[in-house]
Amino acid sequence: MSRGSRIAVFENVAKSYHESLALDHISFEIKEGEIFGYIGPNGAGKTTTIKILVGLISDFTGIVYVRGNRMPGEKHEVSKMIGYMPQDVAFQEWRTVEQTLMTFGLLSGLKKPELDNRIGEVLEAVGLGRERRKKVSYLSGGMIQKLGFAQALLHKPRLLVLDEPLAGLDPESRHQIKSALKDISKKGTTVFFSSHVLSDVQDVAGRIGIINRGKILKTGTLAELKAHFDVTNDILIALSKGARSLDPLKEIEGVESITVIDLNKALLRMKIKADSDRIIHRAILELIGQGAQIRSISSVSQSLDEVYLKYIQGDMR
Amino acid sequence: MNSFTLLYKDELKGFYKSKVMLLLWLGMPALALILHIWNPQSKEQMPLALLSALTVSSIGGTLASVMLAVGLVHEKSKGVYSLFLIRPVKRRHILLSKFFSVYSCIAVAALLTITLGFAVDYIKRGVITQEIFMETLISLVMSFSMMAIASGAGVLIGVISPSVLFSVILVIYGGNQLAALGFLPYMLKLPHPWLFIIISGVLVASLLLFISVLLFDKKQF
Repeated sequence: MSRGSRIAVFENVAKSYHESLALDHISFEIKEGEIFGYIGPNGAGKTTTIKILVGLISDFTGIVYVRGNRMPGEKHEVSKMIGYMPQDVAFQEWRTVEQTLMTFGLLSGLKKPELDNRIGEVLEAVGLGRERRKKVSYLSGGMIQKLGFAQALLHKPRLLVLDEPLAGLDPESRHQIKSALKDISKKGTTVFFSSHVLSDVQDVAGRIGIINRGKILKTGTLAELKAHFDVTNDILIALSKGARSLDPLKEIEGVESITVIDLNKALLRMKIKADSDRIIHRAILELIGQGAQIRSISSVSQSLDEVYLKYIQGDMR
Repeated sequence: MNSFTLLYKDELKGFYKSKVMLLLWLGMPALALILHIWNPQSKEQMPLALLSALTVSSIGGTLASVMLAVGLVHEKSKGVYSLFLIRPVKRRHILLSKFFSVYSCIAVAALLTITLGFAVDYIKRGVITQEIFMETLISLVMSFSMMAIASGAGVLIGVISPSVLFSVILVIYGGNQLAALGFLPYMLKLPHPWLFIIISGVLVASLLLFISVLLFDKKQF
């Protein structure tokens, strides 16, 4: 399957716990090779979606396919190509790190000789190389989290499904895991992960899905999500020599407004809609045309937090 | 390798190295020996091998069922099993591997205890009569039967219990009483009691495991 084709598909999927609807007929797809960030408030249905995808929940309605295999009927086929890390990952405490990975590797169908090397590789990748012989009961919470990540990578899955993989990690470990996710994605593995930390999703994910109260509100790239809500970006322009007039800038298509923040330093704030590259290019030409000398230009893009809040608040209303 | 074989070997490694098992392997023979030495009547009336078999059946079964129940409740509540279940592992293999590994360990502990009993009896008496041998053999069969039922009960209690405390209470007040079913054919003085003891042990333990598997299959992780 090529990059961009669908690796997983949810069609009209619904799941109830007793009387309460956890997933309300959701439909979306995950594309081969992408990093898909799944965000939503607590109880939105993120973990339920993930558990259905990995085959831990089988009593749902609707259709879920993973690489053409229908869940949960063809779960055993799918289990070979999925790596999963749950939200509160836990292991049998009497095992060592190595024994844990050895068992999961063998259960995933790997052979012992190749597993020895592979265990070393994944432990190095997640920063647990020195803990190989340590008992799980002696690992810190962050290390357990990393071991959870390691077991998910062990059998080189096609689709990596991670439920809040960065929760509870220190900044260095977050950076390590985010880098690992990007590397894995470059090698062709699709990553589907949920997170509460929106900046992490923004850093890593190519596409984002927002879920609230069991409904998918929107999926798309960050730019697409912003465009949907008509979200503006801000461009800050510092001038070492002021322009004769700012009027030509106001006439550029896509510019919402221009504010002079600091007259002495000639600092301008330009509110623009999407396609900032074209507007910046035009603005530079116009400013030079008006005799200005540009010291710096920076983009103050609205973060995913703001976009996310707009979606969630919109849904609440 | 089949997932049951792999999990069984793994669990066995985990159990035989555990402190509880160490206690069982060394503690049960020691306890039987202490009881034998401190009970003046036993020197004359009850051979150590027989006393050992009785000790094994009461303590071994309780320890096995507590270990199984507490282990299952703990691992279940922590969410350990989800990482097994997303792999090609049958749910029943998780339970059966635990049952058989604990049962294997206590069976070895029982054999060690009774062998020690025979050895001490032989040294002290110079001979082991056929009557004592047969009596001890029936006690041993009874121990194995009761331990199987207790272990089966431990698995079932582990599957249904919401907390460790609840599981321990159930094991003490339910599992132990249930294990006495293995003793029933002997009490009823049925002909060929050892045969009925084996049958009752296998049947009750299998039924308990069957119910456990059915309930475990319905659990969501």
